[in-house]
Amino acid sequence: MEIIEQSEIDAGPQRPFSDSHMIEMSQLSFRYPGGRAALKDVNLKIEAGEVVGLVGPSGAGKSTLLLHLNGLLPLNLAADADSGVSIGGIPIRKDQLTAIRREVGLLFQDPDDQLFCPIVQDDVAFGPLNLNLPPGEVRQRVTDALAAVDLANYGLRQTAQLSVGERKRVCLAGVLACRPSVLALDEPFSNLDPRARRKLIAILQNFAGTQVIATHDLDLVLELCQRVIVLDDGRVRADGPTRAILSDRELMEQHGLEVPYRLASGRDG
Amino acid sequence: MLALGVGRLKSTILVVLPYRRRNETECRSHEVGHCQTASSHPIENRIGGQYSRFCFGLLCCHTPQCGVSNWDTVFPRKNWMHIPDGYLSVTVSAATGALAIGAVGLSLRQIQDRLADRVVPLTGMMSAMIFAGQMVNFPLPGVPVSGHLIGGVLAAAVLGPWAGCLAITSVLLVQWALFCDGGMLALGANVLNMAVCGAWGGFAVYTAMRRVVGTGLKGTVASAVVASWLSVMAAACLFCVEFGMSWSRADLSLGNIFALIVSYHAVIGLGEALITGAVISFVWSHRPDLLQGGDGAKTHVASEVGRFVTAGLATSIAIAAFLAPFASEHPDGLEAVAEQTGISQLATTPSALLLEDYEIPAISQMGWQRLSVSLAGIGGTAAVVLLAGSLGAVLRRPAISAADDD
Amino acid sequence: MISYLDRYARGATVCHRWPASLKLLLAFAVTLTSVLLPHQAWPAQGVLACFVFAGHSLAGIPFDYLLRRLLAFAPLVMMMSLALPLSQGFAAGWEVMLSILCRSGVAFLAGLWLINVMPFDQLLFTLHRFGMPKLLVAMLAFMYRYVFVLWDEYDRMQTARSARDFGGGSAALRWRIRSQLIGMLLIRAMSRAERVHGAMCARGWDGTVRVFEIPPESVTRNGNHRTI
Repeated sequence: MEIIEQSEIDAGPQRPFSDSHMIEMSQLSFRYPGGRAALKDVNLKIEAGEVVGLVGPSGAGKSTLLLHLNGLLPLNLAADADSGVSIGGIPIRKDQLTAIRREVGLLFQDPDDQLFCPIVQDDVAFGPLNLNLPPGEVRQRVTDALAAVDLANYGLRQTAQLSVGERKRVCLAGVLACRPSVLALDEPFSNLDPRARRKLIAILQNFAGTQVIATHDLDLVLELCQRVIVLDDGRVRADGPTRAILSDRELMEQHGLEVPYRLASGRDG
Repeated sequence: MLALGVGRLKSTILVVLPYRRRNETECRSHEVGHCQTASSHPIENRIGGQYSRFCFGLLCCHTPQCGVSNWDTVFPRKNWMHIPDGYLSVTVSAATGALAIGAVGLSLRQIQDRLADRVVPLTGMMSAMIFAGQMVNFPLPGVPVSGHLIGGVLAAAVLGPWAGCLAITSVLLVQWALFCDGGMLALGANVLNMAVCGAWGGFAVYTAMRRVVGTGLKGTVASAVVASWLSVMAAACLFCVEFGMSWSRADLSLGNIFALIVSYHAVIGLGEALITGAVISFVWSHRPDLLQGGDGAKTHVASEVGRFVTAGLATSIAIAAFLAPFASEHPDGLEAVAEQTGISQLATTPSALLLEDYEIPAISQMGWQRLSVSLAGIGGTAAVVLLAGSLGAVLRRPAISAADDD
Repeated sequence: MISYLDRYARGATVCHRWPASLKLLLAFAVTLTSVLLPHQAWPAQGVLACFVFAGHSLAGIPFDYLLRRLLAFAPLVMMMSLALPLSQGFAAGWEVMLSILCRSGVAFLAGLWLINVMPFDQLLFTLHRFGMPKLLVAMLAFMYRYVFVLWDEYDRMQTARSARDFGGGSAALRWRIRSQLIGMLLIRAMSRAERVHGAMCARGWDGTVRVFEIPPESVTRNGNHRTI
């Protein structure tokens, strides 16, 4: 079964993900070289199309987990070793990295880390170019992605002149231009003013694929996600429907979080 | 006829003048908009203090900024000056350009093997860092001038000679393209003097010395200090050679100017050495892994060769320092050859030293001439050894990469 | 800082609309001619200078800007070239001095014109078309992007430091503090390079530079519109 799926991946852009879990982590542990254990024995299954919030205190391992989704961690993956993560049934291995990175788009916390071209359109075109698409297709994808983040005429702007919110959206356009089926977002709403935040929420709501959103913004989790995973000290502490978990005061406070105002005051249900 | 042509051009200019004024106000107004969106504009206000700086070849002299307030908004306060066009002949420019292209090409190829897909982020970030680091003022007590980092040895110590060379090349290119600093034709000479000589040569000395002195904190800092001083001296000497080859004339003796340039850069080099040493020691205490040579620093110079180079370097500098003043009074073998080949103007002739005309007894008695000639000798030797060392490092490469595989 | 660097480069005059390679070649030709002309041919140098000057006015570069740049450029060129006759006891070296003054002045004006009619991205693209290796182009673009980020970072550190230093300290201390700031900048820059590398890999980067082949030639004033 696995072999058939791989050959399909090689054959073309069709996505053979219909019957298996979109993201699967089995007994994933990770320790930074010379440092602490960041992930301990994580087991997760996320279905296609699910929007999952990843919450937990700082240093809980949220970013580390997201980096695993894309095969950026572990650092030196041996050719035949399996990292314990599979995307759409494909285990993340060195020889599968290209296919994996085509499927998973990663948005980093600091837009300056991600936006490395001086001109906006070059940055958005970076992913499609690395997919070796024909020039016409690249151009089309750049236009579409910029339109999707509501920055249609920003193509020739200089990235250094953009505001933080605009930079974040350009980063998202760069990710969307690769047409991923999974979006992994690391603190997408930090440092944004309410308007920029609102705009980003609207963009994410329009995205049809699977999303994993690591954030401290619990109001937003309530708004966007159907499911929440609480991560603390590298372990999954809770996993379930958003409303049930976020309103569990004891659980929230135990892991350095708090019940969102809307749930606590009972205004919203 | 010619005068008529000039007259016509002048009238053209006069006709165009009104447009110019209009455009100026336009530029200003959209300028304001830019400033508001670009978060980094404080550079104009904060950096630079009240002095602009001029660098020659490497750096030359720093003069107090004119006090007109309008200057602050238009003119880059931080004004490096590398070799501009007009100083070197076209032949020399072409030759240095070809050498620089070759060296940069070699660096590009080497670095692709070593850093693979990290080349662009690491080297690009390093050059951005050097560029930003160069804007930091180091005030000198009591004088209205200041020094700054040049960074060839620093870049090479962190990323290795190839990436270091490329980083400094990028800095020079961007300084040309944004500030019009350094000439278009002289770009090759600037790259050769600072990027190639500074990073390759500086790295050769740095590694060789670390082999001998030790790779601990003290050894590393001492090596960086010596290497950066030598790299500045070597660059100054290279500029002298290039300038001399451009203007070899029978009625001109350039030895005095060269002695001045070299002795001036001996002082500048001290600043560079201090800054590099301090930065390296700071990095050592916080992120020592950055200085372990991600580029395989240990493999670049085999230990015995390294010792040999260092011993040779020390000896030749000592010889140059002590013997150059005496040797320069008697044409030696090299000068004889130079006279035959018509580049005798390069040779040092103390009889027409700049300061002699002014008869400053104190300085004459202090042996200023000999001192400067001494320094010129040291610098020249350093340049030669640096070039030889880097050439050796390049030639040894196949054997080293074979050793890496084992 | 951007506005300050590309001060007039994003204008919309005739000169800005010329093809990028033409501008580059023109500036190169003027520089080369000026350096090749002997000092005896000073009228020709004058004609060249007028030519460049006309180019400046066509490009709408204000005169006072030019004058300031020239005034700042002249003293050091004067100093270096004056040292020549000075060192010969004023007996010789005048010709060389004159040559250097003419050549460097004209070449400097031509260079100034080029940087003020050509934004950096356009220059990079043109250099790439003229055969500069892709890898170097990518590095330069990368550098151009992060100079601003790093400078902001330095500026913040500097502000935080000066908020607490009470203006005291010897020169030696100030040197040490500034060196430490540069060291800090270096460490942060290298960590950032690793993060950016991760972000690039996440979008399929494998070390091969692929250039988006739309010439940014027709970028107009603010860089957000393109005339097709």
